[in-house]
Amino acid sequence: MVSPPLVKTMSKVHLSTSEAKKEHKPPSQEDQDVTAEPKCKRRRSMELESCSWNILPVLSDEESREIAVLQAYAAPVLSKKETSRLVREVSTLYPLEGLQHLKRVRACRDRDSPYPLEMLLCLTLGKEEGRVPSLSELLPEEKVNCFGLGQPFLVLIPSCPPLTRPQFQEASAYWPTSFHENKQVTEALTGQLFSREEKARMQRYMEQAIEVAHQGAEKGNEAVGAVLVNPATEEVLAVGHDCRKISNPLLHGTMVCIDLVARAQGGGAYNFDSYPLCSFAASVKEAPGAGVTDCFDDASSSSILPYICTGFDLYITREPCIMCAMALVHSRIQRVFYGAPSPDGALGSRYKIHTQKDLNHHFQVFRGILEEQCQQLREKSQ
Amino acid sequence: MGSGVGCKAIGVEWQRWMEEAFCMAKEALESGEVPVGCLMVYNNTVLGHGRNEVNETKNATRHAEMVAIDQVLTWCRDHGKSPMEVFEQTVLYVTVEPCIMCAGALRLLKIPLVVYGCRNERFGGCGSVLNVGADDLPNTGTSFECIAGYRAEEAVEMLKTFYKQENPNAPKSKARKKDQNES
Repeated sequence: MVSPPLVKTMSKVHLSTSEAKKEHKPPSQEDQDVTAEPKCKRRRSMELESCSWNILPVLSDEESREIAVLQAYAAPVLSKKETSRLVREVSTLYPLEGLQHLKRVRACRDRDSPYPLEMLLCLTLGKEEGRVPSLSELLPEEKVNCFGLGQPFLVLIPSCPPLTRPQFQEASAYWPTSFHENKQVTEALTGQLFSREEKARMQRYMEQAIEVAHQGAEKGNEAVGAVLVNPATEEVLAVGHDCRKISNPLLHGTMVCIDLVARAQGGGAYNFDSYPLCSFAASVKEAPGAGVTDCFDDASSSSILPYICTGFDLYITREPCIMCAMALVHSRIQRVFYGAPSPDGALGSRYKIHTQKDLNHHFQVFRGILEEQCQQLREKSQ
Repeated sequence: MGSGVGCKAIGVEWQRWMEEAFCMAKEALESGEVPVGCLMVYNNTVLGHGRNEVNETKNATRHAEMVAIDQVLTWCRDHGKSPMEVFEQTVLYVTVEPCIMCAGALRLLKIPLVVYGCRNERFGGCGSVLNVGADDLPNTGTSFECIAGYRAEEAVEMLKTFYKQENPNAPKSKARKKDQNES
């Protein structure tokens, strides 16, 4: 009964893997991070892991979109020593506002060309129909001395600055751009952000979440499990499952974990005594967030007061809904790892609350941890 | 709107319910909580009162709406009613636009109508940041109607008063932190 959706899931996994790897080859220093173990042993376990699940960053729309292009005119630079004067004069006439990511001059693409450089002049601004205007039409004599420029031609230029390496590679194929690389995002996209040990740990946390999801489902709840972890100490702080059937339709796994942490810190709003699987570690009281530094945007540094889930990671079997995703914003979670996506999910599928502009807290989200097992859980509860 | 229940409920009584919600908001302000107050009204009866209890419970999800929802659930348990039947005919009166999280919760409970005071520019889920209340989310309950603007200025004033005194329990905002680093 499970097999048709399973096949679908599998193909989805492969698709996203190929998406992530389409644009770039793995860096050559791939074997750098682990030194202690013999190579052959490591390679074998790497293979084993990559067969079972892939971890993918859930990036903002801006980071994951394809590069959009505009039409522009460029011209060959016939006399190289005129380049800096031409750049100055053309830039004054056409500053290309909002396109600061574009380089004005590029090396000529055509290796047989006698001219080494090409220069971006201006956007076509709807004049692209028909013939390419002449130099004197584009550059009035009194503004630019066109000496040193050849006949203009049409080019496509990327309209927005690239935010990720795949976008940079796509954009550069049109016209050279500047790029401020976020190394962590690049590593995340190539599946190299987390070490083998980290992935093994992630798998253990998710296995624990799956286990409580099954047990919660036996009592009539949705099969969802969640584990809250302090990554600085590698300690599991709270474990919870969906409790919506037995007490409150809003007690989704995420809401349960948030309240368990509140209880551990001397607060809380719910009593989970009758659900012994929903539990917290006694040590949660210790300051959260301490010693946590690895983060895309250094949201948690030791200078800020700890606040509820600051510095903590959530492992959850399925993508949270909009209520739970915003609850995680309010609780200042650091990272969320989920197994399978949800149709109305708010961390990638329907919304990307973790990257939502205007909100006062953003966090990292990764999907795909034990995706197959988590997908089976989803299907079980539908 | 669900069943026309909303229209009937806001007819004569809605001003009185909003007055009461404002009293809850003031109480929250005096307790050092974000000044939001709300009422859940079913069949012309208040089943839930809520005010923000985030600091008190150390749980950042304890917004006024979530507190009131729990009271309605308790009432349902005590009176042997089905929560889903009750929520489907319940109107929420709240001083500030529900946040994205609460808008999600209201959808999940299929509450048909929300009457609110001012917009919530920071977190609003009924149009200000997102419009969770109206979006097409086939797997997240039902959409709901909103009637906005009652004593909006007063509701905003209370929020401003609160944010001026600074919540000692809230983390410093990132923007502020960056400013300090740069200076």
